[in-house]
Amino acid sequence: MITKYITAVSTAFSPFNARSGKTVRNFLALLPPNARSKMAIDVKMFGQREAEKPASLSLTFKDGKEMAMDLEKMKLKDIQTEVDRHSRTLRRVEELSG
Amino acid sequence: MPPRLRLNALRTTQPRTTHYVCNQCRHASLATTPSAPIEQHSLPAAATAVIARHPPTQPPSYKPPEFRKSQLHRQYQSTLRSSPLILLFQHNNLKATEWSGIRRELTTALHKVDDDLAKSGAGDAGVKVGNGVKLQIVQTGIFASALKVVEFWDPSFAGTTSAQDTTPTPAQALGAKHGLSNDAYLAAKKHAKTQKHGLEPLLSGPLALLTFPDVSPQHLKAALSILSPGLDFPAPKRRVNPGYHAKPVQDGLQKLMLLGARVDGKVFDTQGARWVGSIDGGLGGLRAQLVAMLSGIGAGVTSTLEAAGRSLYFAVEGRRGMLEEEEKAASGLKEGEQKEESPSASSN
Repeated sequence: MITKYITAVSTAFSPFNARSGKTVRNFLALLPPNARSKMAIDVKMFGQREAEKPASLSLTFKDGKEMAMDLEKMKLKDIQTEVDRHSRTLRRVEELSG
Repeated sequence: MPPRLRLNALRTTQPRTTHYVCNQCRHASLATTPSAPIEQHSLPAAATAVIARHPPTQPPSYKPPEFRKSQLHRQYQSTLRSSPLILLFQHNNLKATEWSGIRRELTTALHKVDDDLAKSGAGDAGVKVGNGVKLQIVQTGIFASALKVVEFWDPSFAGTTSAQDTTPTPAQALGAKHGLSNDAYLAAKKHAKTQKHGLEPLLSGPLALLTFPDVSPQHLKAALSILSPGLDFPAPKRRVNPGYHAKPVQDGLQKLMLLGARVDGKVFDTQGARWVGSIDGGLGGLRAQLVAMLSGIGAGVTSTLEAAGRSLYFAVEGRRGMLEEEEKAASGLKEGEQKEESPSASSN
């Protein structure tokens, strides 16, 4: 996953929700080690009792685009595809602009 | 021509199994297991029903024991059984310097708690819980499997023989009572389909454990104030602990997420773990509170029962006192009258 063009990540989830919890956690694990200095990461965790509360994941890119992921329908692979798609366009723009 | 040797006459032993064993395997356990025919001559049939075909130090396991994952499985089973308090964290690409910084801060904080407890005399004599606390990364898949075995497989040692009786049962002889055995694997697999231990959703992605050898809320409080500080467990101030606010430690701590806890086999979430840490005075204090509450209940019951008798006693005593006063007053008046009469009589 190309993470170079992400500027902010904001999530809210319960680790006890097998579906959304695993997706969000594995997404956070994909961020590179120096990511924290370059992007603002905001994680809000619900408890065991609020496991059924809908989870949210939203990203902001360098060009200002905000992408909110629907965690009910998307799995980690789908999220990666979405992020890569937008990042590749930004990468092309960057290469062309020199 | 008939055979020279009458094999039927010579056959006094039990027929050997037709299982072919290569030369290497046959001689691998030569030191520990004697050769079959001699044993079968001397001992009764029941005892020779099973002969161990493996060294006693290496009973058969479901996966090959020389794999690292088998040894990790054993280690994780041991950790799960010996640590009543385990915190689960997710670690997101922490660097080695960050890990070493975090572990350094953690050990300093825990040793401080140990020293405080030793000084105040509240802790168990000489037992330093802080020394046994460990922050380790675990292989999630193998940890999940080990957790299943620990939760769902129960090696019932009830049928274990006493010291005198050394006749091995078939299961024991085949070494089926350890966590890596086929039995353990099958039992865990079977029960995992129907039962749940509660930690299943957490077992995904990179996992790190903080294990405590004893449930000690004071140590837990110190660990949480370092690893996942908040309003209830404030982080040490910069002036007091400048090492904590160094860049590697702070960067690393941002990448650690507390997921949940396993306390005495029960699953707690972040809030629950913080609640356990906020128990004042540790488990000793909690026990003292319980004792005080129970004795308070006893005192309350006895005082309620006594109250009726006590109030009656006081009422009677009070009435008796009043009567005595009245008597005294009446007798005093009479004396006074008599005295008045006699001087008046004498004066007349």
